[in-house]
Amino acid sequence: MELSKHNNDAELEIKKSTVLNSGWSAKARIDAFERLAKSGLPTVRDEYWKYTNPKTLTNKIVEKASLLPEHESDIFKSVSPLKIVFVDGKFSPEKSDEFILSGLSIERLDTIKKLDLHWAKELYGRYEKLGQLSVSRPLAAYNTAYANEGLIIHVTDRVECPINIIYEHEDEYSDVILHHVIKIDSNAELTLLESGAAAARLNQVLEVEVNEDAKFNHIRVLGRDHERRAATHIFGELSRGSTLKSFTLTVNGILTRNECFLNIAGDDAMAHISGACVGDGDFHHDDTVFVTHDAVGSESRQVFKKVLRNGATGVFQGKILVKPDAQKTDGYQISQSLLLDEDSQFLAKPELEIYADDVACSHGSTSGAIDEDALFYLTSRGISKPVAIDMLTMAFLAEAVDEIDNYNLKDVILELLSGWLERRR
Amino acid sequence: MEAGDTLQVKDGVDQETIDAVKEVSTYKYGWDTDIEMEYAPKGVNEDIVKLISEKNSEPEWMTSWRLEALERWKKMTEPKWAMVDYPEIDFQDQYYYARPKSMVEKPKSLDEVDPKLLATYEKLGIPLKEQMILAGVEGAADKPDGERKVAVDAVFDSVSVGTTFKSELKKAGVIFCSISEAIKEHPDLVKKYLGSVVPVSDNFYATLNSAVFSDGSFVYIPPGVKCPMELSTYFRINAENTGQFERTLIIADKGSYVSYLEGCTAPKRDTAQLHAAVVEIVVEEDAEVKYSTVQNWFPGDENGNGGIYNFVTKRADCRGDRAKVMWTQVETGSAVTWKYPSCILRGDESQGEFYSIAIANNHQQADTGTKMLHLGKNTKSRIVSKGISAGVAQNTYRGQVNMHPRAKNSRNYTQCDSLLIGDKCGAHTVPYIEVKNNSSRVEHEATTSKVDDDQLFYCRQRGMGEEEAVALVVNGFCKDVLQALPMEFAMEAQQLVAISLEGSVG
Amino acid sequence: MLKINNLHVSLEDEDKEILKGVDLTVDAGTVHAIMGPNGSGKSTLSYVLSGKEGYNVTDGSVELNGDNIMDLEPEERAALGLFLAFQYPIEIPGVGNMTFLRTALNAQRKARGEDEISATDFLRLVREKAATLKIDSDMLKRPVNVGFSGGEKKRNEILQMAMLEPKICILDETDSGLDVDAMKLVANGVNALRNEGRGFLVITHYQRLLDHIKPDVVHIMADGKIIKSGGPELALEVENNGYSDLLDEAS
Repeated sequence: MELSKHNNDAELEIKKSTVLNSGWSAKARIDAFERLAKSGLPTVRDEYWKYTNPKTLTNKIVEKASLLPEHESDIFKSVSPLKIVFVDGKFSPEKSDEFILSGLSIERLDTIKKLDLHWAKELYGRYEKLGQLSVSRPLAAYNTAYANEGLIIHVTDRVECPINIIYEHEDEYSDVILHHVIKIDSNAELTLLESGAAAARLNQVLEVEVNEDAKFNHIRVLGRDHERRAATHIFGELSRGSTLKSFTLTVNGILTRNECFLNIAGDDAMAHISGACVGDGDFHHDDTVFVTHDAVGSESRQVFKKVLRNGATGVFQGKILVKPDAQKTDGYQISQSLLLDEDSQFLAKPELEIYADDVACSHGSTSGAIDEDALFYLTSRGISKPVAIDMLTMAFLAEAVDEIDNYNLKDVILELLSGWLERRR
Repeated sequence: MEAGDTLQVKDGVDQETIDAVKEVSTYKYGWDTDIEMEYAPKGVNEDIVKLISEKNSEPEWMTSWRLEALERWKKMTEPKWAMVDYPEIDFQDQYYYARPKSMVEKPKSLDEVDPKLLATYEKLGIPLKEQMILAGVEGAADKPDGERKVAVDAVFDSVSVGTTFKSELKKAGVIFCSISEAIKEHPDLVKKYLGSVVPVSDNFYATLNSAVFSDGSFVYIPPGVKCPMELSTYFRINAENTGQFERTLIIADKGSYVSYLEGCTAPKRDTAQLHAAVVEIVVEEDAEVKYSTVQNWFPGDENGNGGIYNFVTKRADCRGDRAKVMWTQVETGSAVTWKYPSCILRGDESQGEFYSIAIANNHQQADTGTKMLHLGKNTKSRIVSKGISAGVAQNTYRGQVNMHPRAKNSRNYTQCDSLLIGDKCGAHTVPYIEVKNNSSRVEHEATTSKVDDDQLFYCRQRGMGEEEAVALVVNGFCKDVLQALPMEFAMEAQQLVAISLEGSVG
Repeated sequence: MLKINNLHVSLEDEDKEILKGVDLTVDAGTVHAIMGPNGSGKSTLSYVLSGKEGYNVTDGSVELNGDNIMDLEPEERAALGLFLAFQYPIEIPGVGNMTFLRTALNAQRKARGEDEISATDFLRLVREKAATLKIDSDMLKRPVNVGFSGGEKKRNEILQMAMLEPKICILDETDSGLDVDAMKLVANGVNALRNEGRGFLVITHYQRLLDHIKPDVVHIMADGKIIKSGGPELALEVENNGYSDLLDEAS
């Protein structure tokens, strides 16, 4: 990315011209470009990036990210999903299943972007733009302006079979932008699984529209390549009676910023966003979540747990905004960190901004070491100290993992977590 | 169902509260006193700063300290991060110095003070002359130790008008006087500590204060001395278009103890007035300071006209091991409040506490909270904040808890609760939590809810009016903080809670 | 079996001696009771024996079946068969009671070189032991001690004891916070575990628990020492006269 805060006009014009010839999405891209030009790329001086330095996400030069000796296995195979594979951001037809699944249509941004007209025109960039009203998110605007690849999914019915987008990382210097758009019609349902480290540096946007009484289940596992960097964004809007649940597991990665912006626009809708992260050493992990309640009787939960050691840093910025007249809102937010040794740190800014009176909103945030009394109790029953620490660590993470309804998927996550603990014992 | 036994009125509501609530009327400190004033010309510049310094007969070093602050201030900009919204302040359209003409020659004793001034304080319920108990006299009778003395320093617009109980305090070795007097009489202490907790360059308002502060209180408690009575300052802004910039410096030397009370009022005016105070507290080894504030500056009328813009910097530095500081504040007044009484927990095992009630009604905006900076080992802090929003007011808790890597085995507990009365107001919580070592434990909890309808119904079924019932329930909501106040203030605070919420229902 | 010799213990944080030379031997098949006023060092003794941190052993030794256990980690002592029923069993949110029991049991078996218990055998065993203690399946499913009443927590301790089959059981104020029915239930659980190979050390403030768990030997502890030992009648003496006579006698 090459934009500084102080672009000169000539530079801007050149950039602008590159997005002009992009068919149906041209308007959205120019819009996004202008948002970006106005705000400039983020720096650590921005309040929203107070705890995470975005420098390596915005630098011209991509830092090298060494590869894991082998690809991570097909972690979600136990639920037999439809597989769609991207290698360093490029679609791989050989590795992917055919896009045939009843109840939905899947297209690729790359293949449709030259068309003059497409149904996604109304959606592409729409929720990303909405997410910029409260606070500017230049990386997401950049994504909308320049993304060439991603999936455009239209769900018309209840789809039993999950879709698994698998991201493989084979190039130590890959710099990838992906932009997915998902529209879920009324009463329809989709489970989306994502797994793998997409690139040395990833900038991803997922826009999702959940219509009346529809459901969106989302579970993702960011790849465990140690040196990868990722800025991911979820932008979603929920209509009446709809449900969105999103869980993210982050293991390793030198820098991860997961942003989530949800607008609850319909009454009685429900949004649960959760995450578990375990980090070691240079690991810097940031969850930044913003939930807006703009309807009556809606519910939101944010549950984030972080286990940190050897100097790892965990960041949580979460906000519940309850707009005037969004009565009967039930908002809950918890962020907790378990610091396994002296050098690790936890930085949190859990916010409530409330303009309606008949609400019940709460948040809690804690940080601390392993509970010595619990540890003694376990060891006094004959459990060795390392095993006892792992048990307490898993117990600590449980509240977040419990947000996953599907038992098979929950087991996948629990196995990955215990694997991490064992590797480091 | 018998409403009787199954419903519970929140704890902390007692007959006294009910009686107090019944007595109340609207902002009762809203008159002004007709006293001839002496003003310096409007605006702030080198000449004004020199004039203020000259009027106070200050030594050279003080004048240059002020001028240095002014130079810095000129390069600074007003902070904009708080959730408050007010028309731009023209800092050159304010009077920075005003004092009653009768004070031009400083009175030698209280007897020489303009009787109108003293009458003002009597009206405020501060019995300066009688040297009697400060406020809430009826409650004082219940005290087992007989009457409780409170020494008072009163600041009227820019000038301290008198301090009571001086001789008795002197016997104990306690220095309690106006800061202008301290600069002359105790220059070594002032030089050593002034600006050592809130540096001259700390923030826009504190720097402005450093340049133009006119008076304020000074307290020094010598080693091992438990101050024999509570110390109190009453601040009042009387003159129109006048900014008040008082400066308070409290030094609790090793092993000493003092409880300090601060009260503030201002007349009703339809133009906003500026108040930018600085309070610095130094707490040495094993010393303890309690600082309680009831801030009841004029909040503006129900349409949002007038009121005080209250930009205050308060900070305590626990320099020695086992030093303790406790801030308690009841913030009911001011049109705009920007205030974060903070604790630097530098000494090992030092402790900081912050108890706050902030009420914002009508068009009031409050952005207030605290900072707990843990630097020493085994340090502890506790934050209890109760925010109440009514009318179209906005009320924000903003706080920071920072555990430094060196602050091993430290603890913080934060509870901040917000209550909303009516659907046009806002309640916001903005905590910053920064933990940089793993042996420390930080817990933060916050809730936001509306005033409980069942409780209101219960009270009203027993014959209380709606406003009365709300005041009662809100007092219950605030109980944890009210309990932390000295008794005299607790009474006044309960009444204020009721007054501040007038017009918030129905 | 358990042999405590001249045990001196002080707090790690402050230089305060809590145990000032405790001598005590519990043989297999016997039940010893330790009684004493608050602050006499009874609970400290139970913590030191099970290896809790925060105490300095300044003198003396403790042997379990001939092995010196003072340098061992808590889990190593547990594997040797030492079990402490806590006065205040800790709540561990997120760790299921069953998972906890199975992990503990297998860890001890492994340490002793035995095979892990199969899932079905384990389940059968838990259900059987739980039934006798009136612990329902719901309690087994919940996280360890979370949301348990005082009585449920103590029953859960005894269940663990029954599952782990220790050689020496230390019961720290197991009767505290229990009503008579709950105490009987707990006592029955303990009595069912009495056998020739197992020793018990029952720490209590009141005599009433000893009506249900009959001791062979009663020790009175005061100010960090055992000041008198005797038969069950000693407990009755305390019940009738309180501790003051005994304390005067000792000093």
